[in-house]
Amino acid sequence: MSVAAVKETKTDKIFLTCNYIYLTIALLLVLYPLLYIVSASISDPKLVASGEMWLFPKGITFEGYKMVFQNDKIWMGYGNTILYTVIGTCVNLIVTIPAAYALSRKDFVGRNFFMGMFMVTMFIGGGLVPGYLLIKNLGLVNSMWALILPGAASIWNIIVSRTFFASTIPRELQEAAQIDGCTNMRLFIKIVLPLSAPIIAVMALFYGVGHWNSYFSALIYLNDESKFPLQMILRQILVLNEISADTAGAINASVAEAMNNKAEVAALLKYGVIIVSTLPVIAIYPFLQRYFVQGVMIGSVKG
Amino acid sequence: MQQNGVTAMPVQGVPLKKKNTLWKRIAQNWELYLLIAPAFFYFLIFHYGPMYGIQIAFKNFIPAKGIWGSPWVGFDHFTRFFDSYYFWDLLWNTLSISLYELAVGFPLPIILALAFNEIRTGFFKKSVQTVTYAPHFISMVVMAGIIITFLSPSTGIINHMIQWFGFEPINFLTEPKWFKTMYVLSGVWQGTGWGTIIYLAALSGVDPQLHEAAIVDGASRWQRILNINIPAILPTITILMILNMGGILGVGYEKILLLQNSLNMSSSDVISTFVYRSGLVDAQYSFSTAVGLFNSVINAALLIIVNQIARKTSENSLW
Amino acid sequence: MMKGKKLVALLLSLTLCASLLAACGGKSSSGSSASEVVVNKEGYPVVSEPLTMTVMGPDIGITKWDTMPFFKTMEEKTGIKLEFRNAPNDSFETKRNLVLASGDYPDIFFGGQFKSADEVNYGGQGVLLPLEELIEQYAPNIKKILDENPDIRKSITTPDGHIYTLPKIDLNAVWYMGPLWYNGEFLQKLGYDKVPQTVDELYTYLKRVKTEDPNGNGQADEIPLTSTKLKDGVRMWLMSSFGLGLEDIYSDANDKVHYAFTADGYKDYLTFMNKLWNEDLLDHETFSQTDEQKKAKGKNNQVGLIPDYYAYFSYGGEPSDKHPMYQPVASSIDGTPVIPKHPGLAKGAFAISSSNPSPEATIRWIDYLYSTEGAELLAKGPEGTLWDYVNKDTHEKKWNEAPNGEDREEYRGKLTPDYGIVVPGIVNEEVNNGFTSDFDKWITQQNEEKILPNAKVPFPSVYLSESDQQRVSAIRSDLNTFVEQMEAKFITGQEPLSNYDKYLETANKMGADEMVKIYQAAYDQWKQN
Repeated sequence: MSVAAVKETKTDKIFLTCNYIYLTIALLLVLYPLLYIVSASISDPKLVASGEMWLFPKGITFEGYKMVFQNDKIWMGYGNTILYTVIGTCVNLIVTIPAAYALSRKDFVGRNFFMGMFMVTMFIGGGLVPGYLLIKNLGLVNSMWALILPGAASIWNIIVSRTFFASTIPRELQEAAQIDGCTNMRLFIKIVLPLSAPIIAVMALFYGVGHWNSYFSALIYLNDESKFPLQMILRQILVLNEISADTAGAINASVAEAMNNKAEVAALLKYGVIIVSTLPVIAIYPFLQRYFVQGVMIGSVKG
Repeated sequence: MQQNGVTAMPVQGVPLKKKNTLWKRIAQNWELYLLIAPAFFYFLIFHYGPMYGIQIAFKNFIPAKGIWGSPWVGFDHFTRFFDSYYFWDLLWNTLSISLYELAVGFPLPIILALAFNEIRTGFFKKSVQTVTYAPHFISMVVMAGIIITFLSPSTGIINHMIQWFGFEPINFLTEPKWFKTMYVLSGVWQGTGWGTIIYLAALSGVDPQLHEAAIVDGASRWQRILNINIPAILPTITILMILNMGGILGVGYEKILLLQNSLNMSSSDVISTFVYRSGLVDAQYSFSTAVGLFNSVINAALLIIVNQIARKTSENSLW
Repeated sequence: MMKGKKLVALLLSLTLCASLLAACGGKSSSGSSASEVVVNKEGYPVVSEPLTMTVMGPDIGITKWDTMPFFKTMEEKTGIKLEFRNAPNDSFETKRNLVLASGDYPDIFFGGQFKSADEVNYGGQGVLLPLEELIEQYAPNIKKILDENPDIRKSITTPDGHIYTLPKIDLNAVWYMGPLWYNGEFLQKLGYDKVPQTVDELYTYLKRVKTEDPNGNGQADEIPLTSTKLKDGVRMWLMSSFGLGLEDIYSDANDKVHYAFTADGYKDYLTFMNKLWNEDLLDHETFSQTDEQKKAKGKNNQVGLIPDYYAYFSYGGEPSDKHPMYQPVASSIDGTPVIPKHPGLAKGAFAISSSNPSPEATIRWIDYLYSTEGAELLAKGPEGTLWDYVNKDTHEKKWNEAPNGEDREEYRGKLTPDYGIVVPGIVNEEVNNGFTSDFDKWITQQNEEKILPNAKVPFPSVYLSESDQQRVSAIRSDLNTFVEQMEAKFITGQEPLSNYDKYLETANKMGADEMVKIYQAAYDQWKQN
């Protein structure tokens, strides 16, 4: 990049040094707990819970990973999650990006009406029961679309994208194109979209991660276990019901033994499962980072 | 580049001309309606469609009678909430946690994003960026487990460090005065890297020619951040600030429930945890809808106020 | 100008929606149960024509229910095919309430986790079918149990006279919650030949654990008594020493109803706990630690007394008689402790919804689980998998090895849903015949020695009317928080015990005594029936 090629002045050097120090501190602060998770995933759960394992793995065991890799349900959930994430994110982008662009145009009559209409939904919602009835009446219960359509767009993301379009797409570009007789559609597809790779990447990431982590709509709308996404499966395995006075009357030896067994499995799997289930979303990030380099898009079009 | 954004703004103030011009403008941009149509129908069907459910806030929802058939009770659920022994505590805790979070958690991603932007693309940049982003994916249950382990007065690493410096261990988990800090800082740890993404995208829209021109003029990196980069992301900052104000009572219950205990309750109990607990006794759809509606009214009012302020003082606002 | 336009637009879209909804807001008609299904009144199969029903149950994530041998065997036997709409155990109630509220419910709830309030609600609304007539006509096993145990019938009959759910019945159940367990090694080291019998002896034991280094590692790292938030049994078992029958609502020997947190012995309980806290005998991480951390301390051989269902869950090792059971200790306040006994049933495990195509066939299906053969099938899976009969007449059985050297309990979780959740059915001596290990016998002996002599069911499972229930729910949503918070403050000394009277006053102002009155009325009603 041309900016970087310029020789740094002395103040800039000091500034840069401080910057590197700052980032290194940030790196270390964040890194430690992450290393802790990695170490915990291959340590004896007892030593993790008692605080004896604090950085390097202790009582090394790969049982946790073995159990993850042997669990068919986890892999089935993985497959489902990938499917829902890919399709869901595509739907999200198709709904969000054009709408955000239209809303960013000052000469779009009705812009405020649409904004107002969308924003009301930030505050007023019908709640769980009518939402469920709607999905049921649309015949979507127990289908993948029940996880995708009700969340096809988020007003938050539309607004953020709109702000991006409004502040980065040069207005003369539009005017010039329109003078050339270019239709709005052509303008959007041929000029705006190519300029918008950063925001599309961000939106894909935001929505994609949302799908990746979501479990509630799956809980509500899916009945068939073979359709459960990864997070549902993980919850089944990891979340422990609290034994308290309320449930006590219901506990007998066989229930207690099973619960204890489950708690031990959960302790063993807890950290490994995090790594296995989030590695793909973490691994994808470095590839998206190239869209976040200053000037990369504008420069490429103008140049 | 930025000037373009600026000149674009005053359109809002342009007086509406005669009707035929309006129709002309609509006709000229008919394709924009096509672009917004999917979103329009989505909100109409999936948000306005179920919206009639809001009435159960004023009803006693009885499943077998359905939403329309349940009897009206007026403001009973609201009064029950306002009359709750803990109402003011809940409101205060919710607000203070939210504002604390905003004060600490809002500027940090901006600073981090600006810092990322200054360093050359390479292994170090990629690593820091990816590492800071990763904590976002740790589930709440595990996150809370780690917090409790790290902060344990007897075995936690943080208290070991405190003791190593010669101080008494601190009961972070049970001292009410520490709860909010613990909650906010762990949130910062988890969310800052993730929060930079949107600013990085906004920064990528800056025209390099602006920087080149500034360098020729002898501007230092610091000056260029102040005069080029920050103005470039200011619209995003403003909009996010407004949106955050619109979610001020929306402190979620999941993490708090996991960190809550009888001793820190006085500073950890918020509206959402209260509703969650009420629902444990029996499914109280009406009550939780009523509380939700109360939250919405406050949130919406704040959002409108902040948006008005932003409108008056800057060129960026939601409408 | 802009504002006006916006408003009009908003109204427009709202009306549009309303009309859209009018089309689809209709309530689904609850299928009347006038069934055309021909049900055999006796013998199997239950139906000659194939019959399919939908079931919702809590899934703990081991095996899909439709592949479980238990359900397959039941299908072969009864001719009824089940389709499952399960939800994960931890969110089961959320989903169950939602499908009930939206009218899109399954025909059967198996492991339904219905609370008394739910039964009154959904039963009264006609969503759940009344079962008492069906039981009379089609369910000889259930009828026999209810006839022999009128208390059970009373406990599952709601105030409107109907039975809406079936319970899990375990007449041999003893513990209301898992007991506390002494560290056997510590007791031995400190020269105890029997466990402490009085509050003072308990205190002395805990003190000695703290000061005499019974784990012999030269460090004062012993934690005499530990707990997670007191809810794990510590509160209940220690309360019993001060005349408090249960950590919530209970009735005393004179049929008077109390709320433990405002009852007479409660201040003494707080005083004792405060003393333990001040002298560092009660783990100072009690209110913050997780269950996992607590267990880690136990396994680290640091703890002198720990709550858990079985000692080896917390202390590690194999099931054995190494760690003696806690005996509720006597205090000067009340000559003998009042020990809560398990009521022998867990309610709300099974229900039939109004959409069920054949309630008669369904009740016959479930009735099998209340026979010994059915209960065996439910508890351990089909004969020949994990077990075989030694003597079919006495129901004596023996274990088989699980395939591939798998853990027996884990394998059992793949055979039957009766693993980690409460399922409808019965547990009796015949069902366990042949499976009683030395450990089980030791537990029984400990129970007979330490628990049963003073044990009493603390409160019958009464139902409240809908309006009473609503009142109680409203009271509890603040009161529970308040009393638990104050308990912690009193114990840790943040609130001096001299403020106890002020606390009582506030608790009553929040409705504690009103709640007791409501329960007293319900209890008197129960007594009369």
